[in-house]
Amino acid sequence: MPTARAGIAAILLACLAAWGAAPALAQSGDPLGVGRKMLAEDNPGDLWIEQGKTLFHQKRGPKNASLEQCDFGLGPGKLVGATARLPRYFPDTDSVQDLESRLLTCMVQLQGFNRDDIVKRAISPAGSNGSDVEALALYITSRSNGMKMNVSLSHQKEYDMYQAGEYLFYRRSGQTDFACVQCHGEANKRIRLQDLIHMTDQKGVQEVVSTWPAYRGAHFVVRTMQWRLYDCFWQMRLPELKYASDASIALTTYLHYQGNGAVITVPGFKR
Amino acid sequence: MVLGAPALIAAGCATFPDSATTQRIAEKMVSEDFTAPTPALLKRLVQDRSQQICSKIGDARLTQEEAAEVVKLARASIQYPSSGKLVGNWKIGDDLAHDGAGDRIQGGRLEKRKENGGLCQNCHALAPDEINVGNVGPSLTGYGLQRGNSEAIAKLTYERIYNTWAYSPCSNMPRLGATRHLTPEQITHMVAYLLDPASPINKR
Repeated sequence: MPTARAGIAAILLACLAAWGAAPALAQSGDPLGVGRKMLAEDNPGDLWIEQGKTLFHQKRGPKNASLEQCDFGLGPGKLVGATARLPRYFPDTDSVQDLESRLLTCMVQLQGFNRDDIVKRAISPAGSNGSDVEALALYITSRSNGMKMNVSLSHQKEYDMYQAGEYLFYRRSGQTDFACVQCHGEANKRIRLQDLIHMTDQKGVQEVVSTWPAYRGAHFVVRTMQWRLYDCFWQMRLPELKYASDASIALTTYLHYQGNGAVITVPGFKR
Repeated sequence: MVLGAPALIAAGCATFPDSATTQRIAEKMVSEDFTAPTPALLKRLVQDRSQQICSKIGDARLTQEEAAEVVKLARASIQYPSSGKLVGNWKIGDDLAHDGAGDRIQGGRLEKRKENGGLCQNCHALAPDEINVGNVGPSLTGYGLQRGNSEAIAKLTYERIYNTWAYSPCSNMPRLGATRHLTPEQITHMVAYLLDPASPINKR
């Protein structure tokens, strides 16, 4: 249980930091930053990296195969720098894929897993040991730590994905009349005490694209970009975003391309 | 996002799709990539006319005609409580203002609640001693102190909660009454919470 304990300690720290910093809200642009920095220096999410590495190399599934032949865009098994260029077009599937949808492809094709089974378990319950996909996504992304995001648009389907993502970012619907931009279009905004990242600003969007997968303190597990998007739509009172759907990949393509140049540092730490 | 000519040339024949193509591609995603427990709930993704107008991309601005249409639709949407009373109970309004739950969909199920929360705390500063409040919208601290509680102010406040686009077309604030997130009766309690001299929001 060291993970859960660390998580609880982290939350206590976050609360204390937020409380202590509250009177300074008016002066400082980032009063909660102190707490965040303390958390980032001792990130329980690191524990998931080893787990992901083991899962990656283990022979698993009906085909008893590892993921060592999985091609994330730079060639089979080449992980260093691969996620820095995702999402991208893959000729074998004739589609633009993000990390998690590509991972699904490999787990199905190389290892013989059932796609629906993986998708059902992809986002783990809070307080659990996490899912295979979460650990794998973190391990694979961590192999690009220290490298700059460098998503390019060259295939027509990449342009289409990017542009659709932008369209969705600004598309308002539902009983809250929200699109992404209603909460993420301005600097220094908060929902209650939670910072909202300014995603129409380069520095803001760079913070997003370089810090997922991240350890989510309130859930005691590592969360991925797919989860982040799903959870926003939930809070917006919209229907449930399908895991690894084109809509999710479009939004990720839009954000990742905007965030090019950001140095990948995972796991991130979120409250 | 604007790309210069060199980027377009470097890309060869592939390039950004035009806005009609983009819309077709993205709307197909909207119709295929979400699930809900019932077809009626899936319809939440379908935009009404005002939402379509208010989904400007990037720095694009509303035209005067569009703004006028949104205001006109908003005005026509406003319904008043059957009692005719626009000012309800501020204590109920206080609870509502701090309630952010209701009507969310997760794991194939709709969050069951008798009534939805009012969501105010998420975005607005409320009573002067509250720290856990958002700042996406303007502060509401002292709302009634600054405006009094005349009938005209009560009506304006009711309408701004029911459908704020009647006054600020395409504002970030949800049209809480018009989208049926809140009932007219719930809104009267929020009006009381904002205007009543005894409400915590008007504490000096």
